[in-house]
Amino acid sequence: MSGNECERWNGDVAAYLLGALEPEEAVEFERHAEDCERCRSEIRWLTAAVEILPEAVERQEPPPWLRRRLLAEVGADARAAGTATESDERGALHRAGRRLAGLRGWRRLGWLSAVLLLLVVAIGSYGIGTGGGGGGSTATFISGHSPGVSAEVVREGDAGEIHLAAVASLPPDRVLEAWVRRDGEVEPVKALFVPDGEGNATTTLGDMHGVDLVMVTTEPVGGSQSPTSEPIAEVPVS
Amino acid sequence: MSVRRERAERLADEELMPLIGAKDPEAFAVFYDRHDGAAYSLAYGIVGERAAAEDVIQEAFISIWRSGARFDRTRGSVRSWMLSIVRNRAIDLLRSKAGKAPKLTFDDDAILEQRPSEELTEEEAMRRETANEVRGALGELPGEQSKVIELAYFGGFSQSEISRMLDVPLGTVKGRMRLGLEKIRGELAEGLA
Repeated sequence: MSGNECERWNGDVAAYLLGALEPEEAVEFERHAEDCERCRSEIRWLTAAVEILPEAVERQEPPPWLRRRLLAEVGADARAAGTATESDERGALHRAGRRLAGLRGWRRLGWLSAVLLLLVVAIGSYGIGTGGGGGGSTATFISGHSPGVSAEVVREGDAGEIHLAAVASLPPDRVLEAWVRRDGEVEPVKALFVPDGEGNATTTLGDMHGVDLVMVTTEPVGGSQSPTSEPIAEVPVS
Repeated sequence: MSVRRERAERLADEELMPLIGAKDPEAFAVFYDRHDGAAYSLAYGIVGERAAAEDVIQEAFISIWRSGARFDRTRGSVRSWMLSIVRNRAIDLLRSKAGKAPKLTFDDDAILEQRPSEELTEEEAMRRETANEVRGALGELPGEQSKVIELAYFGGFSQSEISRMLDVPLGTVKGRMRLGLEKIRGELAEGLA
């Protein structure tokens, strides 16, 4: 290793660690550092300074639904891989359920009147389902090949959640995906989820502004850009 | 709490990774719960929007879930590896929205202190103390040094781009980066002494 070559690269150690070299420069630098103890030593020394930088940003807490969404996707993956146990799913969804239970208690106190319990409209070869009908109660959806699914959409301002009950277990390669219709266009809400062992499933719906219909379909693991199956539930909202 | 969850919580990050690589959802949940705040804070610090930060976190953690077995413990801690994935995703997103400047400040402790102190674990309390020290170290850097570090690490700009943006020679940018990192490293060393 010539001294001149090391001098040339040594000035780039900080830029390399900060990700400020162009990709091809970074590759060249790494090639050089493999044979240069001086640069490797500098890298070891300064790495600690770079690794600590993320700790300096203002603390922000992620929204709880992000955790639920991630765990649902992970659970679906694990089920597809055959590694998730029933207790895994129950545990994860039970925790989500506990949070929801707390949320519901608060809601009863504060804004029960704003909760929308809307009729689930039947789609499928066996037509309209039975159930509560009017009066704001939850109705039952009947499909040709699944038992009745009940659903409710809980709306809080421009945010919403959909809760499903009595959902049949899914094949390992399928997940539930939620959709909203806004201005006549059906959009995914990036919400992949799976029912727990008792057939309950919940997901957040994100921005509900302008939404007049919420749907849930079963989709391949990883989700779809547009629905590829008949909805197992549809909830009109106003 | 399930027994498996309790067991997973007793494991170090490095011990969780093989379990995540073997597609253990409990191990992943414990890992997420440990690092979600730092990851989300970094993503938000870089992209400056909640929805975009949420997308970054979703993509980064799913990537970790699907590639957990690829963690190389000889190249640093799991936390640093995870944060580098978050940073790369966030920078990619920033670049896809070309021209977006990073939104970052190091001097506001209000959000950091929102949670009551009794809820903090000892480990998290230490991290926050470290964060305060880092903010302090960054705050004490000359503005031109902290600027180039912010633009590079949090803005995703190359040293050549920074040179053009600030209209200073490339060699000056290199020097400022190095001096800034040296000072932060020195502060860390003093803190550990």
